[in-house]
Amino acid sequence: MGAVQWLLKKITKAFGRNTNSLFYTLLYREILKEINEVTENEEDSILILREIGKRAARESCERHSSVFKFMPGSPKKVLDYFELLWVVVFGKEIAEGDLTYEEIPHEGSKYNDYIIRIKTCPVCAGYGMDGADTFDFKKIENENLEGLACGLTGMLESVANFILKVKRNDYRINIIEQRCMARGDECLQFKCKIYDALEWKALSEIKIKDKLRSDVKFEESLEEEVLQETKMDMIDTLQDVLSLDKIEEMLDEPLEGIKSKVRELIQDKLNMEPEHFFDYFKNYEDDMIRIIGFLAIHLFNEYGGIVEKILANETFSKVAGYIFQQIKEFSLLFIPIDVINDYHQLLISFLDGLAPADMVENVKQFTGKDDINYLFEGAQLALENLGINFTELKENVWEELRRERKDGLISSDQSVMERTEEKFPKIIRIIQELFMLMSEILTLPVRVLISESHYGLKTAINSVVSEEEGLFGTIKDRVDTIFDYIQEIRQ
Amino acid sequence: MNYTREELVKSDATMNQLRNAIYHLERFMKINGIADIRKRLRRMGRNIAQTYSNYWKPIDSVNLENIKDVLATLYKNILNSGVSIELDTSNNTITVKDSNCALCKYHFEDINEAGCEIILAMMAEFILLINKGSESVFSLEPFEVSESQSLGHKICIHHYKYKVGGK
Repeated sequence: MGAVQWLLKKITKAFGRNTNSLFYTLLYREILKEINEVTENEEDSILILREIGKRAARESCERHSSVFKFMPGSPKKVLDYFELLWVVVFGKEIAEGDLTYEEIPHEGSKYNDYIIRIKTCPVCAGYGMDGADTFDFKKIENENLEGLACGLTGMLESVANFILKVKRNDYRINIIEQRCMARGDECLQFKCKIYDALEWKALSEIKIKDKLRSDVKFEESLEEEVLQETKMDMIDTLQDVLSLDKIEEMLDEPLEGIKSKVRELIQDKLNMEPEHFFDYFKNYEDDMIRIIGFLAIHLFNEYGGIVEKILANETFSKVAGYIFQQIKEFSLLFIPIDVINDYHQLLISFLDGLAPADMVENVKQFTGKDDINYLFEGAQLALENLGINFTELKENVWEELRRERKDGLISSDQSVMERTEEKFPKIIRIIQELFMLMSEILTLPVRVLISESHYGLKTAINSVVSEEEGLFGTIKDRVDTIFDYIQEIRQ
Repeated sequence: MNYTREELVKSDATMNQLRNAIYHLERFMKINGIADIRKRLRRMGRNIAQTYSNYWKPIDSVNLENIKDVLATLYKNILNSGVSIELDTSNNTITVKDSNCALCKYHFEDINEAGCEIILAMMAEFILLINKGSESVFSLEPFEVSESQSLGHKICIHHYKYKVGGK
C-alpha cells in the first residue's frame, strides 16, 4: 500500500464517527432482522438490506463529495483501491495478506472481471453463536443470493460508483457478494463486474419490486446518474494533477524513471536534448534552484489564483509574510542537516546524466542548507510578486503588535506606565527569544522523529554535535541575545 | 480464521453509512404501514445489549451510587460518546446529554422517531443484564428521547427512569 493511500485511510478513519466494532456489527444484524420482521421473507430481506446499504453510502458520499474527487478515475484503479474503499465504508483495516485479487478475463469487454477474497468479515464474526442471531440463512433457497454482508456490498458498490460518477467516468462497477462466512463459506468473496454506460442503464432499470417475492413496498431508487454540469471548483482543477493514483505513481517512481520522464518531456515539448536545456543554467545553478521555489508558489497559485486572492488583503498578506519567515527559519532547525544533505545528493543524482558535467560539479559545491535557502529565496520572490511586501514587515510579529507613538517623540512627563511601555519592546524581545529557545530545544525530538525514518537517532545526535551552526550553535546564540537584552533593560 | 466478537470489542468502526441506514430502515417501515417504529427501535437496542453483554461488561453490579459512572463508561466504550449525566432523586430520573450522538447527526424532516431510541433501550437493558446476576435491586427503564439531532435539535437528550428495590 502506497504512502498516500495509507495517509488517506488514516484521515478517513480520523474524520469518521467511530463506535465500537461489535456495536456496529450488532446494529447491522438488527437492521436485517427488522427488515425481515416486515418482509417475513429472508430472500427479500437480503435484497432490501443491500438497497438500504447502497442508499446509505450514497447519501454519505454526497455529503463529502470533494473527498472522492481525489480518488482515481478508472474502474480498474478504483478496484485497486478496494482496501481504501473498505476503510471508507467499514472503518476497519484489512489485516496484511487477508485480501487477495483474481482477474477473470472477460471476452469482448474493455475491462476484466475481478474476484476479491477477504479472509475476515466483521459482520459475520461470531454469527450464530448468540441467541439474538435469529436471521436464518437456512431459509434461503436461492444459492446465488448474497449473504450477511449484502448491505456492506451495497455500500461498497455505491462508493465505487460515486467515485466514477464524480470523476465523470462512463463505466460502473457491480459488486456482488458471492461467498459469505455466516452461510458457511471459508471467506468473504466479492465478484466485481465492470459495465459501460448502456449496460449499466439496462441493469439499473430492473426494479427492486420486480425482484421481491413478498408484497412489501420499497421506494425505488431516485439516483441521478447524470452528473450535473456545475462550475469547476479548485478541486476539480486539481484532481487531474493530484488524484491519488498519480501521486502514488510519482512517489513510487524510482529516480531513473523520473529522469527518463523528464528527458522525454524536454525532448517532446522543447525539442531539445536535456543536456542542451540544462546548459542554459550553467554557472547560474543557484538561480535554477531559486526558480524551482519561485515556480512552486506560482504553480500553486495557478489553480484558482487562491494565493493571490488571499494576499490581496493587507492583514492576510502580513500574516502570510510572518508565517513564511517562521517556516524559513524553522525548516533548518527542525530537519536534521544530514537529511537535508541527502536531498542535496538526490538533486545531484537527478542532474547527473541529464545536465552537463560542469554544471553537476558546480551543484556539488553547494551544501544542502544552500539548496533550502535558494528555494526559500525563490519562493519569497514569488510571494512578493503576489502581494507580500517583505520590506514592510517588522523583524518579528511581536513588534507588529506594538503600538507606535505617532510623532515618534518621547514625552517629557513620562508616567510609570509610559516608562514601562518604552521597555516593553525589550521585554517582548526577551519573551520572543525565550520562545525561540524553547522551540529550538523542542526541535530535538522532531529531529529524532525525522531521522528515525531516515538514518536513525545517530543522525539527529550528529547533527547537533558536529555542526557549529546546528542546534547547539543556535541555542548558544539565542542565550547570548537573551542576556544582552536583560542587560539593556537593567541599564 | 474470521474475527471473533471478543476481538470486535477491542476495535472501532466508522458509523457514517450505518447511521444513515437506520433512517432508511425507518422509511421502509413507514412505507409498509408499521405504526410502532419506536417500539421496534427499542427492541433493536435491547437485542444489541443482550449480545454485547456476553462479551463485555464494565462492572458486576450497578447501584444508585455508581450508575452515573457506569452509564458514562457504557456511552464512552460502546458509542465513543462523552456525555453529561444528571441524576434527579426527586423524581427518580436520569438525564443523559450527548452532543455527538453516534446514531443522530443530520435533521431528516420525514423522520419522526430518533435513531437514538436504540441507544436508550440498549443502555437500560445493559444495566438490567449487569444486575441480573448480582444482588443489586437497582433497575433502569428507558423513558424518552426528548431531543434529538435527527429531529432538528442541537443535541440528543435521553431520559431514563430508575427504580431501587421496586420503587
